Amino acid sequence: MIEQYTITTTPKYNFPQPAMDTTLPQRFIELSLNSLRQVRTNAFQLNLQQDSTTDTPTQLQLKRQPLPLTPRHQETLIAAVDTSTIKIGETQTGIIIAIRGATVWKQNRHYRYTRLGPFIFHITEENKNAVYNSIEKAYFNVQYSGTHQATPPLFQMPTRLASLLERWLQTMLAKTVNNGVLLFDGSLTSGTIDTPTQRMREILATARRNSNTVLAFSKATSLRTNGYLITDQLPEQETPYLLETTGVRFKPPTVLLGDVYVARLQKANMAFRLDIDKEIPTPNKMEAVEKLLGNDVLQQSYPETLRLAHILCTFTANEVLAMQHFTTRRHGIQIINRPDMHRLLFGPFGKEGYA
Amino acid sequence: MVEDADAAKALIVQVIDVQFAAVPGVLEELLRTLPDGGELIQGEDIDPLEIAPHITYIQDASLLVCKIRATFENDQLSPSSSWLPSRSQSLIKKLSVPALMKLAKVDGNLPIILGGTKDSSLLTIDASAIDGTLNIITGKKGCGKSHLSKLLMVSLVGYKATVVIFDLNGEYSSLGMTQDGKRNMYYDKIHALTPSQNFKVGIDQLHLNVVMGILVHALHLPGTSAREFRRIWKGLKDKGTLTIAELGEAIRNYNCNQHVRDALASRFYSLVNSGFFTDNAAEATLLEESLMKAKEAGGAIVINLKNTSNVDRQIVVEYVLGKLVDSLQSWKLKATFLFAEEAHLYLRETYWDDIVTRMRHFGIFTTFITNQPDTIQETIYRQADNIFLFNFTNEHDLDVVSRAARVDAETVRSIARDLPPQYCLTLGRVVRDFPMVTRVRSLDLKTMGETRLFFT
Repeated sequence: MIEQYTITTTPKYNFPQPAMDTTLPQRFIELSLNSLRQVRTNAFQLNLQQDSTTDTPTQLQLKRQPLPLTPRHQETLIAAVDTSTIKIGETQTGIIIAIRGATVWKQNRHYRYTRLGPFIFHITEENKNAVYNSIEKAYFNVQYSGTHQATPPLFQMPTRLASLLERWLQTMLAKTVNNGVLLFDGSLTSGTIDTPTQRMREILATARRNSNTVLAFSKATSLRTNGYLITDQLPEQETPYLLETTGVRFKPPTVLLGDVYVARLQKANMAFRLDIDKEIPTPNKMEAVEKLLGNDVLQQSYPETLRLAHILCTFTANEVLAMQHFTTRRHGIQIINRPDMHRLLFGPFGKEGYA
Repeated sequence: MVEDADAAKALIVQVIDVQFAAVPGVLEELLRTLPDGGELIQGEDIDPLEIAPHITYIQDASLLVCKIRATFENDQLSPSSSWLPSRSQSLIKKLSVPALMKLAKVDGNLPIILGGTKDSSLLTIDASAIDGTLNIITGKKGCGKSHLSKLLMVSLVGYKATVVIFDLNGEYSSLGMTQDGKRNMYYDKIHALTPSQNFKVGIDQLHLNVVMGILVHALHLPGTSAREFRRIWKGLKDKGTLTIAELGEAIRNYNCNQHVRDALASRFYSLVNSGFFTDNAAEATLLEESLMKAKEAGGAIVINLKNTSNVDRQIVVEYVLGKLVDSLQSWKLKATFLFAEEAHLYLRETYWDDIVTRMRHFGIFTTFITNQPDTIQETIYRQADNIFLFNFTNEHDLDVVSRAARVDAETVRSIARDLPPQYCLTLGRVVRDFPMVTRVRSLDLKTMGETRLFFT
């Protein structure tokens, strides 16, 4: 058997040139700069809150019989994608946000990464649709008007834009990797505001065409059976193993494009919700997880590649300061601290987010 | 200078330390490029907005730790620091050393150029700021302490001051020569006296108090024996037969307790063996004469204590100090600057307090030079008016020096340990309590202060 490299070198990425545009997301840059120019005369407020999303609770069954796994050391490319967003300040008319994405892959026992961003946007009520739609149009050519809400609230824009970048990076991986295991952060739930079903279907279909298997790891889940979280019901069986679930149904238009498992990949009493592309036959699903076990390092049952993708795209406080410095220096935005009413009224008891 | 335009005043602050700013997230930045194996992750950063330089800028941000030194208001400096300028509105400006010196009025009619500062200006102090003061020059060996003391000494001599130096290593005797061996402007003003060579004292010229000081303090003669000696000395003096031989004979024949006689005899032989005393009037060099010469045109009396035994050294020092006090008490001398190198090797315990209290009032203004700061008593540090501090890395040494009243411990600790050789932190009255770092200027003097080496 001839060893085949699944990744070849291009000037921009260490990926083969796909049919889809894989050059720098030029539109992201243009929109980012345009949006910042609009805010030149405005001041913005510092705010370091990060949004989070939760799973929708549902009724389901968890099979008690574990599916044992055996690590497969057959060389397989493991690649992961993650994106991150942060609000770095507020202006009189909107918010200033930063987005960054990272792809990490393990090749020849070495981890490599490509990090995109940060992209900084000034999002206002006036430009939010324009920004979002033009990026969507530029990278996915079509708009999924059926599932796409016309006017998302301003506070959702950071996650919406980050999702857009994440889907684009996932598409890139699905197109450029062959015979690999692709690790996504979160679930394979679609039909939500930021994950149109059609787009997710296309990503999964592209991955399948290139003989890739998509494994989506959720760091936290709200799925429960008998009142307990599925990740808390771990049988004392030799690890690694998967626990199969059945009967996961969401209310339309939300659609689940993967089969949901509980993955306990190490002895440590930690497990994650794992969604695997529904269209892939069960033995291939198992094989993909086994290849992951044989090719990646696992820390507390979590793949290192995905952990690195997350770490590399996450913004540190230092980077937030740097971005504030950038917006101030390059775009002349004067930073002001808008008084925190919680703090102002309640002093040390006025912590934001607590009633 | 932190200038608050609204308050119409400014704070003068001094940078005493430069640290990396404790920017949140720096550790995460450094850690995240390391996967579990510890090997660096290779990758490409596509940073179209070029944020990376800003991140580096923040990561490498420095924090300047400053000490408030004074307030500048209505063109006047005051030591007040009871206000704070606006954090957001104040203007921060770098104040050059000459500008600060001008504001602090560190100038005068008797300038002494100490050396160059970091901003390439000269640090000039006024000789009158050393007048009437107690000074300490300290630092670890090889840093340039003796060099600075020579600079101060010749500068004072240049202003016609009388300077007495206890020269432990024979470094000051050739200060009248240039490095290439030619005579310099100080040649006639440097009076090098080497005990038992060109510095001898006629026994009949000795004042009883001075002899008693030598016997009691340098030779530790007990009180009872001292009383007997006084009687013998007075008897010979009255008869006009005070010579070394007569003194020895008188002690041998003196009718007293055998132990007392033995004690007197042993001290007598110590005096004789020192070679410092003589009966020959022509051989005797009058210290007083040298002092008078120095009084007229300024000069330095260098007491060369090199090759002098510990006991002899103490005898000489006792004599010189006793003589100085006598001369000052009788107003034969107006004032004297005394430079004492490693004074703990020859100065008796009780003299320390004497020097900073009693003798200062007589007009002996001492500069101690040492590389062992703990050999100088804490009371001396507390009363020191000026400290010239060279590099110290030892915590204990820094602790000792930081006890000085005119300086805060933080300044001493943070600046002194980073001083390169020949750089001196000047503290106290000469710089109006604005600590200044200066590279001590070179001198065209034959210093002879270099350590003798075996291999070169």
